[in-house]
Amino acid sequence: MPETVLELAHVTKRFGDFVAVDDLSFGLARGSILGFLGPNGAGKTTTLRMMLGIVPPDAGTIRVLGRDIAEVRERIGYLPEERGLYKRMRADAAIAYIATLKGLSRGDALARARKLLDGFGLGPFARVRIEGLSKGMAQKVQVLAAVAHDPEFVILDEPFSGLDPVNQTELEAFIRGLAAEGKTILFSTHTMQHAERLCDRLLVLAKGRKLFEGTLEAARRLLPRRARIGADADLAFLAGVPGVLNAAAPAEGQANWTLELSEGADGRTLLAACFEKGVPLSHFDLAPPSLHDVFVSLVEERSPAP
Amino acid sequence: MRRTLLIARQEFVKYVTRRGFFISILMFPLWIMVVTLVPQWTGGSGPQHHDFTVVDRTGGAYRDAIAAAALRGAEARRAPAATAQGGHGAPRVVPRSPFAYEDAPDYLVRADDAHFAAAVRRALRGDRGTGYEAPPALDTVVLIPAGFGGAGRAQIWSSGRPDSDLREFVDGALTRALQIAAVHRVAPQISDPAILDAAVQLEARDPDRAAGANATVDSIVPIALAIILFVVSVMNSSVLLQGVVEEKSTRMIEVLLSCATPREITSGKLIGVIAVALTTLVIWGLALFALMGIASHGTVGLVMASLRATASLDTLPLLLVFFLCGLLIYGSLFLAIGSMANSLADAQSLLGPSMLILMLPNVMIAGVIRDPNGALASALSWVPIYTPYFMMLRIASHPPPWQLWGTLALAVTTTVLLIWWTGRVFAKHVLTTERPPSLGALIARFVPGQR
Repeated sequence: MPETVLELAHVTKRFGDFVAVDDLSFGLARGSILGFLGPNGAGKTTTLRMMLGIVPPDAGTIRVLGRDIAEVRERIGYLPEERGLYKRMRADAAIAYIATLKGLSRGDALARARKLLDGFGLGPFARVRIEGLSKGMAQKVQVLAAVAHDPEFVILDEPFSGLDPVNQTELEAFIRGLAAEGKTILFSTHTMQHAERLCDRLLVLAKGRKLFEGTLEAARRLLPRRARIGADADLAFLAGVPGVLNAAAPAEGQANWTLELSEGADGRTLLAACFEKGVPLSHFDLAPPSLHDVFVSLVEERSPAP
Repeated sequence: MRRTLLIARQEFVKYVTRRGFFISILMFPLWIMVVTLVPQWTGGSGPQHHDFTVVDRTGGAYRDAIAAAALRGAEARRAPAATAQGGHGAPRVVPRSPFAYEDAPDYLVRADDAHFAAAVRRALRGDRGTGYEAPPALDTVVLIPAGFGGAGRAQIWSSGRPDSDLREFVDGALTRALQIAAVHRVAPQISDPAILDAAVQLEARDPDRAAGANATVDSIVPIALAIILFVVSVMNSSVLLQGVVEEKSTRMIEVLLSCATPREITSGKLIGVIAVALTTLVIWGLALFALMGIASHGTVGLVMASLRATASLDTLPLLLVFFLCGLLIYGSLFLAIGSMANSLADAQSLLGPSMLILMLPNVMIAGVIRDPNGALASALSWVPIYTPYFMMLRIASHPPPWQLWGTLALAVTTTVLLIWWTGRVFAKHVLTTERPPSLGALIARFVPGQR
């Protein structure tokens, strides 16, 4: 059984009358990448802060690397949602400062900072003040500051926000590299594509409560598969085909019909039915539901009533 | 402790590499120089130069007495050295007169009471009558009425408020002239009334001070130290407050909190501020001594003797402890304010009332200096947040031992308690964006276990 790096049990956090996190329990195995998903105000940041020991839970327990957070602070890396660096610090010093607070000696921290900056193509900017870097560069520096001390467990809060597609791809590769080194990663995001590409497991939170926890495949199974079919004719007859749960006409401005299929239904029966009716098709695709669809469905349909 | 020192180091580097630090470091000695040295260089140290005349309607004896006194003062002013060595090697300041007597123009002497004001106006404008070429305007006219010495009162005429130093000088000269006249009346055999001019030289001494120390300067040094405590505390604590507000706004505080506990962060910040304050003091001290050395070697000797007396081996540790306590008390309060504020505007609104409370010692300073061991000084010394300030003022006056040790214990206890309280306020409020808490909620943070 894999070692559990993070374990939350019945964690609750209130701010006055507002329940930010409500009886949340989940675990994270070593070496995995967990996507922490949820709409704004879902309680993601509060949960992350509790994991880091920044705010204490009102109820429940949190164990990180098998211990209380205060004992393992130096083995955790953290990237906050809103970037926090001293603007007048030089890039290498900014990374080294956080690394020294996490236990590295100043010399080692500076050497590590410069190596990481070189690896990210920021070597020439090592002695540039943060205020002199572009937003993307500053964000990379912040990410490097979170991992310069070689943590076992890395928490990234919205690591991709504000990055252009090129930098996002670069950061994705970096996160994969961290996972390949055996680090356990938890990152929160609003961007489902990143979660789809990176995560082993997903946890969806809304209004402080867990709506889903599991693999990407399990998440996709929450919604029926969908077929999108384009034709000039009325395809309502497809609702009678075995395995079809629902057939929806194209929404205004769209060209394709959307059909929801039951689990195990064979998409080829749809093509056969159209062929029998002599309906020429302009488009046909059969795909599992996207994480975006699953997320929207979960949040809209399953989130607890206020 | 390692993290605390790392944060302290970072705070120190952050503040001393700011442009504002260099400006403040330079500004204070420059300000002192402007305030103290410029008047000396322009010949205006002490009373301002005045041209004055005397209209003596009693016959001229009083006019001659005042003129003679002004002449004596002017001669002393022309002496090559402004100071001379006293009996114990301490420099003694020689009194000088900056007042120049000029003969009154005829129209002023002849003017009767009805026309005297107009004549004075003419004299103050610079019209000196016939026989003078481009004379300077008079600053002041002294009128000795015919009945002076009995019912008549001498008058001093000038545009606006008469100069207080000149007024004091004329008053002294006339008093001496009246005394000489009285001596002549009762003892006409005394041929040299100048014996009345014998000046008394009083040298203030303190049995607890080393010989050679100057008591006047000795009393100024603790005051200067107390004021410097206030200036340094407010200056550096304000920077600390701004730093916390900035860290909150950039979310750097969240990164720090993921690395260290709130108590480690607050302690590190306070140690950093102490290091900045001590650096400031050392640089200011060196700069001031350099400036004083340029201005006058005697001044450096005076201040050094006084510092040795004030900061003797007995009192130096106490002075240092009170100074550090004061700095930490102010720093803690500002840090707490910074952690509760969401913006600099928020901080300003919280800082306003706090500054009124913190500045109260400056209002009380005169009373405490006048009687350093009196009831007011003693009572104020027991107000916890003011204790370091007032005890620094009083320490050279040797307060009773029970007060000294009692207030020391109070200052240390207050400091420890405030640092602990600041840690709690910081932990509770530094990540919130709510409105700052009420005073009651803040006081409740002193209660252990209160969340």
